[in-house]
Amino acid sequence: MLLFRHPLGLRHRFGPRRLLDLIKTGHASLGMPRLLRTTSFRMTLLYAGLFTVSVLLLLAVILWFSTAYIAEQIDRTVFNEIVEIVTETEGRGLQGLRDAVSPLAEKAPPGVYYLLQDNAGTVLAGNMPRVKPVLGVWTWAPPGTGKRIERAGRIVRGRGVPVAEGGYLFVGLDGFELGEMQETITRSFVVILAATIMLALAGGAVMSLGLQRRVEAISRTSRDIVAGDLGRRIAIRGTDDEFDHLAASLNAMLDRIESLMQGLREVSSDIAHDLRTPLSRLRQRLELARRRALSVETLHEALDASIADVDAILDTFGALLRIAQIEAHTKAAGFAELDMSEMLQAMVEAYQTVAEERGQMLAGDIEAGLWLVGDRELLPQLFSNLIENAIRHCPSGARIELAAHLRAGGIEVDVADDGPGIPADLTEKVLQRFFRLERSRTTPGTGLGLSLAAAIAGLHRTRLDLSDNRPGLRIRLLFPR
Amino acid sequence: MKILLMEDERETAGYVAQGLQEEGHLLSVAEDGRDGLFRATGEDWDLLIVDRMLPVLDGVAVVRTLRAGNIMTPVLFLTTLGGVGDRVVGLNAGGDDYLVKPFAFAELVARVTALGRRRTTMAAETVLRVADLEMDLLGRTVRRGKQPVELQPREFRLLEYLMRHAGEVVTRTMLLENVWDFHFDPRTNLVESHISRLRSKIAGQDAPELINTVRGAGYCIRAPV
Repeated sequence: MLLFRHPLGLRHRFGPRRLLDLIKTGHASLGMPRLLRTTSFRMTLLYAGLFTVSVLLLLAVILWFSTAYIAEQIDRTVFNEIVEIVTETEGRGLQGLRDAVSPLAEKAPPGVYYLLQDNAGTVLAGNMPRVKPVLGVWTWAPPGTGKRIERAGRIVRGRGVPVAEGGYLFVGLDGFELGEMQETITRSFVVILAATIMLALAGGAVMSLGLQRRVEAISRTSRDIVAGDLGRRIAIRGTDDEFDHLAASLNAMLDRIESLMQGLREVSSDIAHDLRTPLSRLRQRLELARRRALSVETLHEALDASIADVDAILDTFGALLRIAQIEAHTKAAGFAELDMSEMLQAMVEAYQTVAEERGQMLAGDIEAGLWLVGDRELLPQLFSNLIENAIRHCPSGARIELAAHLRAGGIEVDVADDGPGIPADLTEKVLQRFFRLERSRTTPGTGLGLSLAAAIAGLHRTRLDLSDNRPGLRIRLLFPR
Repeated sequence: MKILLMEDERETAGYVAQGLQEEGHLLSVAEDGRDGLFRATGEDWDLLIVDRMLPVLDGVAVVRTLRAGNIMTPVLFLTTLGGVGDRVVGLNAGGDDYLVKPFAFAELVARVTALGRRRTTMAAETVLRVADLEMDLLGRTVRRGKQPVELQPREFRLLEYLMRHAGEVVTRTMLLENVWDFHFDPRTNLVESHISRLRSKIAGQDAPELINTVRGAGYCIRAPV
């Protein structure tokens, strides 16, 4: 069972809590038993086994081929010898053969055998005992060599042929050479095999330790993060290998988690700060009404004012929740193709009346037929927030323009005004929740309008690009195609 | 109207029930989805007010089941604050209108009235009339007395919505949703400026004001008494 445990403890039966426990407790050392448990080492063992099998197979093939080759060599030599003897003694009968074979047999080097028998089986010449006359190639084991005879190399291989007068001639060679060679091959293969296994195991151990170290680094980082050090990231070696890729994905995930948590923290502290003021105002109002309201009418007035206060607070809550939901990508599923030109035109028409009432001018310069995949409910809110932002912050006489055109990069929408604008160093800040310019502090509003717009823009893979309209503010959005 | 309210939160249920009873409606409360579904099928109701989040069986499932069973009683969904996308889900399930909690009571009353009336005036009208104001829906023309009134398409839609709900209070949110298709609360007086422009356009010489502002609730178009 131990062998099947993953280095990270990721056994499939493990629930997330178990995994977390493992990460928390951690594994400190890289002792031998742990090494045996690593995936890479088990892989090494598997490869070592496969290597052994293939080396053995190779040995078998080489042995088989070399045996066949040497046997063929022996056969050819023996055949040539026989042909020579027979041709030399042509027409001289058995006697002639005997004269030829006798000296050959006497002078034969070790391992070379000659035999000439007559048809009665009597040995006429030769350096080996009589045999049963077998024709063609066959092998013969010389007697008296004991157990060694069993070794392939000692067996005599030769050819028997019929000769004149019913005689029988056999010439054979013992396979000493063959035996030697097979022995050498086998011996060297044993050495090679041993070296292979050793190298595989050593290499595997080194590799496992290397991998182990990298995995360990990753799990150590994750333990630190679990322990609360959210800023920690997994080191990237720059080797661009799969570990770097894994580390990069994990880091991206951690960044996302951190930014979400950061956002959460900010939101909670923002809410605390920003709602304290209206809530304490509400409390004062109610207390005052409790003490002073003498008639039903004044009491009603106080209650109406309180309800208005509560509504403003609820507005803020609503906007915050909406931003949070949009940022959590819960709405991207509701995307559909929509006619952006028509939508923007309707926005201009809707707000023209409002602007005119304030002595401002709202103009639209919208190219027809701009289609976009987006959210039918959120996009109007985005542009409404931008237009209202311009209307509310510009004085009477200001000119506000909503322009939309098809550009190379996508649909470009500009909301520009010639009002007071935003100081260059604050353009990023105004997108933050609850940020309000000093001069707008006194006007009603949640301070969330542009944050909400930015969140909706983010959902549509674009951003609010604030710039100086000289004079005024220009907010540009480029919706990618 | 006979209204079934499906709401598990006792306090909200009590507040809604009491308020609507004071308005002259007959209220029953179901505290979970299964009970609500059972009672919605067992009796004849004029309106169902359904909280989206109900125990046992959630509101959307209740309405989907009712619609699948061909029970077409109007449904007003109630939902919690900030539910982006909830509206679409609710309407797709077969809801007729949607209200976000917490809501002003006037808003609820206006919507209940609008939904209750929907049943009775399903017949296709071609001419809408309020006092001497006349709207021809086919010809897309408006006359005040004998005087023709020129309206922008959006103003026409605004007046049409008001006239279709003549005599009833129509809230700002209802106008935003139905005339402009805005499902959020604008920070400017968008509705007010359009109403005031519409008022000046349909105002005849010495003719009485038809579009009344109902304080704390919305607007109401009606013939002067």
